[in-house]
Amino acid sequence: MPTLMRLSELVNEIQDTIESRFEGAAYWINVEITDVKKYADKKWCFLKFIEKEGLSITTEIKGVFWGGTFHHIEKFERQTGQLFSNGLQISCLVRVRFHKRYGLTLEVLEIDLAYALGKLAIEREAVLNRLQKENPEQIQLIDGRFVTFNNLLPLPIVMQRIALITAPASDGQRDFLQELEKNRYGYAFDVREYLVQIQGDQSSGLIREQLQLILTEKVVFDVVIIVRGGGSQTDFKPFDDYELSKDVACFPIPILTGIGHDRNTSIVDLMARANKTPTKAAATVIDHNLSFEQELLSLTDRFFKGVNEILDQKSLALRTLKTDFTIALSLYFKNRKHELDAITRLVKNLSPAMLLTKGFAIVMQQDMIITDPSKIEKQTAIKTILKSTIIHSNVTEKTPYENQPEL
Amino acid sequence: MKTNLSYNNAFSVLEKLVAQMESDEIQVDELAEKVKQANELISFCEKKLRTVEKEVKKAIGD
Repeated sequence: MPTLMRLSELVNEIQDTIESRFEGAAYWINVEITDVKKYADKKWCFLKFIEKEGLSITTEIKGVFWGGTFHHIEKFERQTGQLFSNGLQISCLVRVRFHKRYGLTLEVLEIDLAYALGKLAIEREAVLNRLQKENPEQIQLIDGRFVTFNNLLPLPIVMQRIALITAPASDGQRDFLQELEKNRYGYAFDVREYLVQIQGDQSSGLIREQLQLILTEKVVFDVVIIVRGGGSQTDFKPFDDYELSKDVACFPIPILTGIGHDRNTSIVDLMARANKTPTKAAATVIDHNLSFEQELLSLTDRFFKGVNEILDQKSLALRTLKTDFTIALSLYFKNRKHELDAITRLVKNLSPAMLLTKGFAIVMQQDMIITDPSKIEKQTAIKTILKSTIIHSNVTEKTPYENQPEL
Repeated sequence: MKTNLSYNNAFSVLEKLVAQMESDEIQVDELAEKVKQANELISFCEKKLRTVEKEVKKAIGD
């Protein structure tokens, strides 16, 4: 009859063996994770570590993050913009634990961020290179900047009809719309929303679908805006996807992004016109329209300045004309008066009264002025009117007199 | 790709008017007409900037 052990005795032995072998040891492993279950309120995370050969899993063991190390997950997500979830390949520090109820697990002490970031950077580089290589007409790297078909498209002078791609009931959506609505210039916008869950593997495909949908709409959009709020628990991997980035680079309507991420710009940002956050994207739109209005007002200014100048010119010309005319008229009358005066003086000087004062005489016979001396007969009475005397006399003789007027 | 045709049109007509006004091509009796035209273009743009068929308010209210 074999010795019967109690289960706990056997399991304790297993535990002792493991603990003595692995006591105080920690190991860095390079591993794929799956079955990730996070309990953010308790700060626990349960997962499975696996190793594959081809598509089949050859090795598998449970993993766990307890309260003290849970923050590594949060830091990982924040710094890489990637969700800590199934399919991820990470490098982490673990220690071996055996619990008599829950069995064997690897407790995670630390995640190698540098490894994760490095890996991300390599993946990004690969996607960027492929984008340039396979789309040389539409995507080019010039002077360290990505110049694409889309970001070269001229923006309409006013952006009012907006196609907004965003996650429903999200910070990104709310921030963008609020900023647009509360603009202090009173600008109005027609925003059509294309709602998409921007989380997980499917999202880049979903965003691509929305882009295609926008192209089929009858209404014409000035611009397409893709926004994504920041904060933890957010997944930016969709925005590094090759196919989505290519669609964005080749899209025929200008695309603006407002993808809030602390660290770096996503590939989609590089293919379009990027803004750091949804709020800044809205501000860009508002400023753009403000520029237009300022140019409009400047034109208005110039126009009315021009009007006033013309009016001033014409007014000045009119006044000058009036002055010239007045002067000419005045001169005219002055001249005519001079002439009149001259004639008046002349006439006055030639009047009989004037002649008398000068000592000339008027000869009268029988109350008639004699101008023709042949009419005067000898022995007739004549009156000679001088200045203040009339001389009454009788004609005694008439003799000719030669008058020389040139003297 | 379509652009905002009416803004573009209004703006370029206004630019032409300004050019005319600044080059003294305009006679005094044309002045009133040109001023009227400019005012119409300006208020068209100003109004259009601030009016759309559907307001953003509705979108937030959803």
